[in-house]
Order: sequence, then C-alpha cells, then structure tokens
Amino acid sequence: MSSEAVLVDKESDFMRSPEKVMRLDRMGSSFPTRLSFMRTLIRRMSKENWKFERTLRNVDKDGYGVSVYSAITPHRTYSLIAFTQEIPADMRTDRVIAEVWDATFSLFDGVPAQEDIDYLANNTPLQEGGRYRPSELVLARANKSLRVFENIISSLATGVQPDLELISSVGYLMRTTAVYGSGKFGCADRAKIADREECKPPFQIELLAVYLIRWFTIDMVEELAKERGGEKAVQLDQKTRRFIGVGNSTGLGMAPFLLKHPTLIHNWVVAKETALARVRSIETALPGTLEVFLKSLLQVSQHVDEWNVADEVQSARISRLTDEIQALRMWCEDESNICRPYPWNGIYQYVEDNFSLECQEMIVSLIIEPHGTLVDDLAETMSTTMIPKFKADMTLSHLKGVVADAYNWATTIDFSLEESQHHFWYYSEDKLEPRFGSKGVDDGVDQEMPLAIGRDVHDLNEVLQGIDEDMPIGEFAMIHPQFRHIIRRIQNTFERPYSEVQDNLLSESMKPLDLLRFKLAFFGASKFDPKSDLWTRISMYQGAPLPDQIQKSNHDCWAFPIAGRSQSYPCINCTCQKAV
Amino acid sequence: MSKSGLTISLNEVLFYFTRAGFGVKAPIGVSEDFARSNIWIAQNGFDPSECSLLALDNLDSQKSSLSIQFEKSSDGSRLFCPEDRILSAIEASVSCVDWLEFNGLNGGLKVTNVDCPLLVVSALGANQCIGIKVSWSDKSNNQYQVNLNDDTKWEIIASSDVPIEQSSYADIQISALDGTNKATIKNGKLKTFNIADERLKTLNNGVNVGDKWPEIYEYFSRCLVKSSAESRASGAGAGLVDTD
Repeated sequence: MSSEAVLVDKESDFMRSPEKVMRLDRMGSSFPTRLSFMRTLIRRMSKENWKFERTLRNVDKDGYGVSVYSAITPHRTYSLIAFTQEIPADMRTDRVIAEVWDATFSLFDGVPAQEDIDYLANNTPLQEGGRYRPSELVLARANKSLRVFENIISSLATGVQPDLELISSVGYLMRTTAVYGSGKFGCADRAKIADREECKPPFQIELLAVYLIRWFTIDMVEELAKERGGEKAVQLDQKTRRFIGVGNSTGLGMAPFLLKHPTLIHNWVVAKETALARVRSIETALPGTLEVFLKSLLQVSQHVDEWNVADEVQSARISRLTDEIQALRMWCEDESNICRPYPWNGIYQYVEDNFSLECQEMIVSLIIEPHGTLVDDLAETMSTTMIPKFKADMTLSHLKGVVADAYNWATTIDFSLEESQHHFWYYSEDKLEPRFGSKGVDDGVDQEMPLAIGRDVHDLNEVLQGIDEDMPIGEFAMIHPQFRHIIRRIQNTFERPYSEVQDNLLSESMKPLDLLRFKLAFFGASKFDPKSDLWTRISMYQGAPLPDQIQKSNHDCWAFPIAGRSQSYPCINCTCQKAV
Repeated sequence: MSKSGLTISLNEVLFYFTRAGFGVKAPIGVSEDFARSNIWIAQNGFDPSECSLLALDNLDSQKSSLSIQFEKSSDGSRLFCPEDRILSAIEASVSCVDWLEFNGLNGGLKVTNVDCPLLVVSALGANQCIGIKVSWSDKSNNQYQVNLNDDTKWEIIASSDVPIEQSSYADIQISALDGTNKATIKNGKLKTFNIADERLKTLNNGVNVGDKWPEIYEYFSRCLVKSSAESRASGAGAGLVDTD
C-alpha cells in the first residue's frame, strides 16, 4: 500500500475550514481557478513546446470519415482518432443510453498504424458496445450543436465571419457526452501512464483528448466551409477561434466518482484552499496584482453578461452575481478598502460577509489568478496513488474518537426521518447508466450504490456505543463485516479533512448538480448551464489557445473569457503583463 | 461484456469483482477487498474469474459461509467457520490479513476448510504481506507452497501440474518464511514471479478472462436495476432527445 503525506497547514489563520468548504451549497457555487486541470495542461503544453499535427483526413464532402490529430510531447506522441458519421436527428441525445453520435473518438497511445485505425473503426463508433486495448487511453463522443455548426459553415463558406452573438450564446460547435479513461471498456489503466510527467496531475490525458476534440471541431467547420465555398471561403478569425470551446454534457456518472475517491478530492481541495490561504496571507500586495484584480472585475462582469441559461434558479444566481460584482467594484474604488495590510484577506472577508456563495467563489478564483508564481506549484500535489487500507490494529476507542471529532456532521443527522433517506443511487441495466432514485417510488433500493457515507457513519456510530473499546477493529470487523467499508473510509480520511462532502447525500433536498459543478470547476469548465438537478451542460477550453497559439505569450490568460476578445484580462505571470 | 475470451483492464477487474461479491451478498467492504485480491491475481498473469468463481458459487449456494471465528489453543492460532459449512475464501482472506496486521506472524496461523486457497494468498499479496509462507494440501491431495518473499518476488512450489487456481478445499497454514522452510514439498515444481515484470505485462496487454467470465458477469449484473419507462425518462435527469 502506498501512503502519502497529508499536506494541510492547520495552523494557518487563512485556511477555510472543511466545515465551510465541503458543503453542497458552496461546492455547487464553484468556479475554475488557475489550478484547474485544463489550465495546468495548457501551461505544460506551452512550457514543453508541444507540437500538433493533423496526420490524416480521410472524409467525404460532408465531413464523414476518419481523421487523426496528434499531440507531440518531448517524449511521446498521442493521437486522437476521430470517426464522423451522419445520424438521425431523433437519435441525438446527451444520455449515456444513446446509441449513435455525430463523432466518436479514441485517444491512441503513440502513432496508430493502419491496422489500429481499422480496429478502432469497428469499435469506437460503438462506444460502450466496443472493446478497447491498453493502446487506447481515452474513449469519447460528441454531438453537434446543430444551430451553431451549420451557421458557422454557411458563413465561412460565403467569406463572412459567423454571428458572434450566436457563438457566444452556445460557446461551442460540438458537445461531448462522455469522456472515458482509466481502464474503461478495456482501455489502458491509469497505472500504465501514471508515471509519465504529463500524466501526473489529475485527468490530464482525458483533458488532452478533449483539447484535441476542440481543435478537431474547429478544423472540421473550416474544412467543410472550404469544401462548400471554394475560393470564397474564409477561416475563422483568430479571436473567434480562440473563444470557441468544446461543450460537455455531464450527468450522474461524475457524482459517484467524487464520492469514491475521498483522498483525491482532499488533495484537490487542499491545494485550492492552500492557494487561497497563501494569497490572503500576503501583507503587502505584490506589484501590479491589485491592478490586475480590478481589471478582472470588469472583465468578469462582461463574462457573466454572456453567461445566459434557461434554468430559473441559476439565472437568478447569475443576476445577483452581476449586481454583487458591480457593488464590489464600487467598494474597491475606495482605496482605503484595498490599500491596507493584508489587502486580499480584506477583499475576501468583505465578500464573504456581504455577498452570495456564487460571488464568494468567483472572487476566490479572481484573487488567486494573479498569483501564479505563488501558487502554481500546488498543481503538482493534486494527484494520489494511495490505495485505502483497512487498519486492523486500530482500537475501537480510537475509531470512536475519530468519528466523534471528524464526523459530527454525519452522526447528528436524524436518519429516522423519511426525508433524510429519500434518495438512493443505482446503476441501471440500461448501459450501466447511473441513476438517482427515490425510495418508495423507484425500484432498486436493494442494489443501492454504497455512497451513503453519512448514513453508514451514523449507523456505525450507533453500534460502537455499545461495544468494548479495547476490542481490536479486526475482531469487530469479523463480527460486523457490514461496516468494513465505512471503517476503512474513516481510517483513510480522518487525517484528510477535505475528503468528505459534509452533507446528507440521501436527503430529499440533495442536488447532485452541486457535486457535478464542484468537480467540473476543478477540471476548468465554465458557463455551467443546468438542465435539471441531475445534469448540466458546460464549456471547456473556451478562450484557451489553439495549437497554433500555444506559444503565444498570453497562452495562460483565458480565465473568464469574453467573446471577441483574444485574451482574458492581463495576467502578471506571462509577458502579456506588459499591458498592465 | 458478458462474453468469454475478453481482455479486460485492471480497473474493470475492480469494478466487476467488487459488484460480483456484492451480488452474492458479501458486504461491500469485504467485496472491495475481494476485488483488490483479484487485481493482484490478474497482475500476476492469472485469470481472476478462474480463481474466484468457485468462491462466488459456494457463497451463492450457501455451501460456504462468511461466518468466521478466531481461536487460540496450544496448537497455535486458528480461523474457522463456526457453522457446519466451508469457510468462504472471500471472508477468510480479509480476516487473515487483518489477523496478521494485528498479531504479526508469531506462532503462525491455520485457516480451516477454505474453498479457494489462492484467494487467501492473493489477499496477502495485495496487502504486501511479505516474508510469509502459505502452504496447504487440497482435497485432491495436491500440495502447494507459496512463498511471498519480498516486494519484488514470490514463488509457487507445487507437487503436481494442477494449476494453483484450480486447487480447492484445504486447511491453510500461514507462517514466517525463513531459510529452513523455503521448499518443504519434495520434488516440487517451482515457479517464480517477478512482481514488477508481471504487472508491466498486464498493464501493456490487459487481463485475459476465459470461459468462467460470463458467470462472474452474471453475479455482477445482480447489482444492476431493471430499467422502466419511468426510470429511463427521469432517473438520469436528462432528456431522451437533444436537438440543440
């Protein structure tokens, strides 16, 4: 078993507590930061001068066929093999249970031979119905946003740049509906690539696949416009190209992952919270950083203006956020508020005391942003290789103490109330689609996924009260094997206080959407667009440099992008700071 | 996925075997350990379905039991099933590891009437228990000794050609490995495993599962919930058609 040091600066006055951070309502207000995994990947691409090539394009006049896009790192090549096909409109769905997709992808480890492409041609378009090999690292699919896709091709074909407002309203040409890695359907296990430098931070290989998919979608519309318009056709201008992201539709599958990897989640959160604490603890602002922050408030106001969603709850939150950013800008205009010792802590504290969680979390991102030199090293700490171990030599008295100290949030929930155990999570026989059921309404309570952390801790605690404290846990587990999983979890998380969502995940009021947004923000997603309490659409890589822009000085300046702007606000961590 | 002759990943071993254990009503924590043991089996080039199906079948048919007790006598320490049934290796394996962690190897440990001895070995291997000798004589009187030497190497010494994964129903003796007891089976056939090499091979080639895989999948599928029109429409939140 591997073990890892637990890096939490418990003494810092500026660390937010787990009780504050690991609550669903705050988690569901998360925004990406410069430690988000897409940002980390783009910085590496630029630093290591990765090369990108389209090595194959074998498609018909409608763009249907196969293409290969490669990323060449200093040590190896990764190749996205993309298959495109025509599908009936009424079979286009974001759900796992879909059977066909406009485009399907495999990320191949290396340069594929023709026989590899032939093998994948028979499997990748089937997605979960195909089988993959350790040479394939990622499996994914995407559907067109029909209204944007066709509009852009038509415009470019006639030599006209497309309607920026339309692009801004959607944000992407295609929307991925699943991106599978880590051994799914026979693909390579994470252990195969975990030691590679470029794969060490979380989800880098999956996000590389998504990055290449984004490039593929933009390349595809430009090629189809050329096919249709001939010499009249033009390419997208650089600013628009950079603004276009790739969409994603995320459902319940992401939530179980989050709950099943508590150590990993702790590492993500502690890195972000440490970054925030480091910034809040700065006594005198570093030169230029407050100016950058003030400009970023203006930038983010425009970004939020472009964040339009149909969901009424999120719309109201966005509206309030707009007002709060305006109010914060006015507050910051009074220099006495910000030109004082510990200016960042002052700003944070003011926002926490006065504004919504949505605004608080956005400001966390914004005050971390100009401090790359101070926080970017934390990106290296966000992975884990730890396999949780059952520690049979712990005493029951120790376990009882840990439960009392670290799990008070769980032991105080009244699970005798129906609303406290309203929901359960299960896998459907329909392509193993994860679903969220209601007790008394849906079948499957007996096959519930073991994600009821709070309830299981609560039940364990009840039993522990009547047991001899000197009994070793190994003996207790022989008598009560039903608690083995939760004991192991407690043993491996109590020293990692940001591991657990400190809310009842079975409660009637629980919204899986909060978990999804939390995780997606760590990925670097933006423009959260909830479609129900159970799934959301998002944009990824919006504003990020494309392969031919990766060496530009502003490659890392793409937080909170605005349509039609080539870069985000000036950042002091790269040469684009000259604009400050 | 339910077909035989597949190549699967280690992550799939974890996913399917955890739920297969749960499918025969093993507690989820025990099933998680069962799956980790199967990963170790797979990483060492064995077909995990071949090694584990008997244990799942026995538990499902109630031929074996998860009930386990520990006793210490003048003969040494012993884990056994207090019921008149076979001790399931699914439980025996986790209890052995727990016992060793708590007591160390002082005096050795006997595990009585276990259905699948290799599962016990694999739990020890998965938990990096080293410097240990595991030996048994099975219902066909084939003798096996497994030496978990160190972090890099382990070995099997067998009295016959019957593959160790087919060895079943035995009293297992676990003791410290020292210079005097490395090879106690006369004329035994020795096979040595380099852990890192075997693992690398598995990561590069995947895990081959044979004709017993469909039955593993059958147990796994018990954790799946039948889909109804209502759950299909509402259980995942998203619509059935997206024309954006």
